[in-house]
Amino acid sequence: MAYSDKVIDHYKNPRNVGSMPKSDPQVGTGMVGAPECGDVMRLQIKVNPETQVIEDAKFKTFGCGSAIASSSLATEWVKGKTVEDALQIKNTDIVRELSLPPVKIHCSVLAEDAIKAAIGDWKRKRAESESQPEASTAAAQGD
Amino acid sequence: MQVSPSPSPACWSCHAATDGAHFCPACGKIQPLASADYFAFFGLPQRLQLDADDLERRYLSLSWKLHPDNFVRADQFERDLSLELSSQLNDAYRTLRDPVSRVEYLLARLGVRKEGQTRQQAPPELLEEVFELNESLEELHMAREAGGDGDETAELRRRLEEAGRGFEKKLADVDAELAAASRDLDAAMDGARDPLLARLNEILNRRSYIRNLVANVARELQEGEPA
Ligand code: FES
Repeated sequence: MAYSDKVIDHYKNPRNVGSMPKSDPQVGTGMVGAPECGDVMRLQIKVNPETQVIEDAKFKTFGCGSAIASSSLATEWVKGKTVEDALQIKNTDIVRELSLPPVKIHCSVLAEDAIKAAIGDWKRKRAESESQPEASTAAAQGD
Repeated sequence: MQVSPSPSPACWSCHAATDGAHFCPACGKIQPLASADYFAFFGLPQRLQLDADDLERRYLSLSWKLHPDNFVRADQFERDLSLELSSQLNDAYRTLRDPVSRVEYLLARLGVRKEGQTRQQAPPELLEEVFELNESLEELHMAREAGGDGDETAELRRRLEEAGRGFEKKLADVDAELAAASRDLDAAMDGARDPLLARLNEILNRRSYIRNLVANVARELQEGEPA
């Protein structure tokens, strides 16, 4: 399989590899997998609670070169965007930027899903902390 | 590429009805592929439970009959057919022999499983577990590359072996689930098949993560390079 130069660049020099503390209320964590190949990806964002801007993003991917490049690119793209803007990122944008061939589309889908999952996680956390301003007795509810 | 299915089930040589058989029942000539379906190739219904011995017998008998050696003196058309049918036979046998690829094949044929379209996610606990094990694998790999000290590597190895056993157990469990769901599908009436097909698909997806891990662990323990 011939990878495009951009894929190779992200693969060799992945941006923003790493992790942030999951328990941090400002951090949202998205953990997703591609059932086609069994690859997994974790993408995390750190959101400024006042401005809703994503100030930092980290990822870690166990998967193919295209999945690594897609998630690396995704972290670059979400940084500096508001949460709502980041939700607009589509896997097709990633496919175009990285010139992914059809068999590698699912790898970009993984990155889009990871962004959505991370934002979803962050929103859930925020809703929870708003509904329970003080340490409450209902803290142990299931979701 | 395979021979496209013949439009009418009539022998190309004597025009007798062949009923999709590989050889004309009237004149005995080899026939073009009548159906692309692997089950049909063996004259079997599309059922997930099949008797492995019976399948093997059918395979051996067909591979003997279709073998290109039998056609060295036949004309080019028949020689080509023998080659194509033999290769189809091997693909069909390899696919149907294994219970997992058999399910994958049937789901793909029924349009339930399509590349890039399965967006349902595995359970988060499984992904979490998969992720963590991959991290241990990576740690072990890096410790090895760094020529790390023996104690540390031994500890990582022990953890990996343990994790590997856990995942092999999971793989066995998931295979048992797949077998049970396969039985259910075979027993189901037409109207009740859709949820069972979806369930089989979900089991296959879960299986692919676990199978990956079992393979990665095995490779790392054999001190190979990860892909
Ligand atoms: S092949 Fe699985 S994510 Fe690319």
